[in-house]
Amino acid sequence: MASVLALFLRASVVLVCTALATFSLLWHAPGDPALAVAIARYQAVVPDAVLDQIRTEAGFNTGFWTAFASWLRPLLQGDFGQSAVTGRDVWPELVTAIGYTVPLAVLGLLIGLFFSIPLALLATKKPGGWLDRLAVALASIGAAIPAYWLGLLLILLFAVQLGWLPAMGARTSAHVILPALTLGLGVAASLTRILRSGLLEARGQSFLPAFRRRGISRRALERDHVAPHAAIPVITVFGLELAFLLEGAVMVEVIFARPGLGTFLVSAIEARDFPKVQAVVILTAVLFVTVNLLIDLLYRAIDPRIGERDA
Amino acid sequence: MTIVARGLSVHRSGRSILYPTDIIIEPGERVGLVGASGSGKSTLGHALVDTLRARGQSVALVPQSPDDALDPLRSMQFHWREAERALGLDPDVVRRDALFEALRIEAGDMRKRPWAWSRGMQQRFVIALALLGAPDLLVMDEPTSALDPVVAAGTMNLLDAYLKERQTALLLITHDLGLAAARVSRLIVMDACHVVENAPTETVLATPQTSAAKALCAHRNWLELPC
Repeated sequence: MASVLALFLRASVVLVCTALATFSLLWHAPGDPALAVAIARYQAVVPDAVLDQIRTEAGFNTGFWTAFASWLRPLLQGDFGQSAVTGRDVWPELVTAIGYTVPLAVLGLLIGLFFSIPLALLATKKPGGWLDRLAVALASIGAAIPAYWLGLLLILLFAVQLGWLPAMGARTSAHVILPALTLGLGVAASLTRILRSGLLEARGQSFLPAFRRRGISRRALERDHVAPHAAIPVITVFGLELAFLLEGAVMVEVIFARPGLGTFLVSAIEARDFPKVQAVVILTAVLFVTVNLLIDLLYRAIDPRIGERDA
Repeated sequence: MTIVARGLSVHRSGRSILYPTDIIIEPGERVGLVGASGSGKSTLGHALVDTLRARGQSVALVPQSPDDALDPLRSMQFHWREAERALGLDPDVVRRDALFEALRIEAGDMRKRPWAWSRGMQQRFVIALALLGAPDLLVMDEPTSALDPVVAAGTMNLLDAYLKERQTALLLITHDLGLAAARVSRLIVMDACHVVENAPTETVLATPQTSAAKALCAHRNWLELPC
């Protein structure tokens, strides 16, 4: 119980540190943020009076800690503030962007599972066999291909050559297929490797022969004694996979000119729109911390020894 | 039922790790399978169990360590139910309690996983699992090497009583001649993947014929141990 509390405590420390790090990075970034905002907003060089006004508005002239506090306080109440460029609330725009990215990421993950589970099962049927070597080779190639290149290849094949699928934008639901495939194949590659080694290790456990001699069927053995052990490394990687998914989503959205968190973030960085960038970073951090917290809790459910060792 | 297995042999990567061997064990007989480490005792034991199982005979194996018999992620209750299902038995608390009683298993929390039990109790639990199907033959592979001598002796004594009552044959695989000598009526001595001697315990102990048996008997002082 105490260790679960410690988990929550750790999670909140991470979040506060992330907020502080984000804020100070942007704060200390070279160049005058007020000038950048002014240029983004008015598309022209502006008089000093306007710059001063922008500084006051955004709290740039109050000192680091005051500015940090005045940013963090509304944030804790769920208020992400207003865009420094358009003056509109960040939150609704952010929600729209999330609405595009979440289906993409979920679909990418599902595609990853869809390919990796059967591939890993086939590969481990006969370790070292040709299927196994093929699966490992495919996974290595998949992990080595960067998303932007794979994306372009898919566009060339399915959109340009075959003309089956749309490549740019997000007008119809078919628009999500190519980006999700780009993302999902990368996920499949890394998941296949983890699942394969997890399965091999789980099947090599020293207690399995005794279960077989007790008359327990191969199916029940796989379900009750192999799968839970093989799941542990997969769950571990899942936290990392999430990072890959988000990072991949940013890249893929830009390649496919698809609105979403990636496009939102890239355009916000270009415009030096602090509140927007901070909102994305904080949101990502919250997502990460939450998922990793869930993973830690899930671990403890599968194997309580993990929690005991930790405490 | 007399246990008869002829021509048992095992090959791995094109090499013989057990040369053809015949094993015959009478009902209720206790046989010790002894030999130095690596002489092929466990290989013979496992091959015997697998051959008999494939023939549909009722036989059970107790591995060397409870770690080789229990899944650390599953509760004791799960193991018990699973073994019952595999044998086609309905859940029966009375039967379980009777086995636990006979082996003096102070039933810890059945919802706990194996590592929450002491090793001695884990090992007894594994023995109880093996006895669940009332096998004709119980093969124990170094059953007490994971336990301290006092717990080992206690466990073996309880088991002895239980097996005697039921006419269950016992094949005790061990490198500990002291443990075997006190409990078995016949000794099978193995050396380099061959059975080199197969005779009543007293005969082997009094007049060992082969160098392997002589080497084992050179440690006669082990016989003074309580187990």
